Amino acid sequence: MAFTTSKPQVESEAIVNWELTITALLTLAIYSFLYGDNPFYRFAEHLLVGLSIGYSLVLTVGSIIMPKVVTPLAHGDFAALVPLLLGGAMFLRLSTRLGRWSQIPMALLIGAGAGASIPAMLQARVLKQMASTISGVGSVDGAIILMGVLATLTYFVFTREQTGLWGKSATVGRYFMMIFFGATFAYTVMSRVALLIGRLEFLLGDWLHTL
Amino acid sequence: MARRIIFALLAAILIAVMLSHARSSVPVTAQTQGVYDAIAALDSGAVVMMSFDHEAATIPEVGPLASAIADHCFRRGIRVIGLALFAEGNAAGHELLARRAAAFHRVYGTDWVYLGYRPQYTAAILGMGESIRDVFPADDDGRSLDSLPLTRRVHNYHDVNLIVSIADGSMPTYWVEYAGARYHTRIVAALSAVMVTSYIPYLGSGQLAGIVNGLRGAAEYEQLLNAPGAGARGMAAQSAAHALIALLVIVGNVEAWRLRRRSPKWNRKPS
Repeated sequence: MAFTTSKPQVESEAIVNWELTITALLTLAIYSFLYGDNPFYRFAEHLLVGLSIGYSLVLTVGSIIMPKVVTPLAHGDFAALVPLLLGGAMFLRLSTRLGRWSQIPMALLIGAGAGASIPAMLQARVLKQMASTISGVGSVDGAIILMGVLATLTYFVFTREQTGLWGKSATVGRYFMMIFFGATFAYTVMSRVALLIGRLEFLLGDWLHTL
Repeated sequence: MARRIIFALLAAILIAVMLSHARSSVPVTAQTQGVYDAIAALDSGAVVMMSFDHEAATIPEVGPLASAIADHCFRRGIRVIGLALFAEGNAAGHELLARRAAAFHRVYGTDWVYLGYRPQYTAAILGMGESIRDVFPADDDGRSLDSLPLTRRVHNYHDVNLIVSIADGSMPTYWVEYAGARYHTRIVAALSAVMVTSYIPYLGSGQLAGIVNGLRGAAEYEQLLNAPGAGARGMAAQSAAHALIALLVIVGNVEAWRLRRRSPKWNRKPS
């Protein structure tokens, strides 16, 4: 059996142009902040925040509250009352008199969250990364990585004065961190320029048809 | 005032390069090759799960990445299951997959399915390891997964050959921790360039099979596919912008050093 997507299709060129024009004007309104704060920027910013929250809310109600709570309850499945009551109890934090009842769902959330995440984090972030750091020492890259890890770790030992050989190691660790910060900042610049290129491509190509 | 001159200069250079239609090729990095190889190694009919874990604001950067990967899958006859763990990525992901599938004449339900959005990513990723139906009983348009030929045979990660997290934040970490470490699923990441330095260590340890990053990653992937697109178009402009920024950093530092030398504090002799 074959299906086609039910996403709305654009019906006429006129609608496309209006969509593009509104999008382009909002893009220009946001970029106008680079000259200085102004009402056009503030309008576009408020629109973005409002739409974003509204979209998330509608999506959550449509994909969670309706199928997971309302529909089961309507079909007589009262097990859905348990998460509904626990979720509702979260809001009791707003009451000074009943606030302590919100600790029950909070405790469940923290307990389940910690139980699920601690072993997974330990495995993926610590043990596997540590094994990879040690096993790679045979190569030049691996040796540099191991040296960087050890030197950076010495920088974060605060119970020992950073003097002598220990201090030198901490300084090397600081240099490794600076290289990391520099690389991260450069990647951030690259990312932001890419976003600007994306918007310019839209303005010059899709909207003005000059590309 | 100087700030505005820099913005104007950057915009002028980008517009000039884009209008000149200049193109520049990029060498393919091992990390991008890793993603390409992971998909190229799959048989026709294999299942790839593409998770759109990004916000709307980063679509200009992650969109070309996602398009290139989707094109690779559809071109090779690989089935794609899309989903979103960020609300804003949901509509973008659905629209992108629909557009790319149409370009390759792929049929919804058989060649690709879009599951929709679920909040609480930890619970969603862990839940799909046991049963995708528990997390997504129906697709984004409300059709039961059992009514679709593709999802009828996909029950959990054992039936998924590769997961692609298209992200502008830390979501690939959770895919690695919960789907990778616990269920031994193969994972690759298509990242906004901001996040790359955080994920290179995962590449070294083999927890990620590959990373495609930013517009450059998209250009590399398009080169591997021999299908130039948005990534390739943006590379010349990106290089010009980087050259300008590097020049401004050098000029700024020289000027700061010159001003410091002129200050009385610099000329004061140590007592």
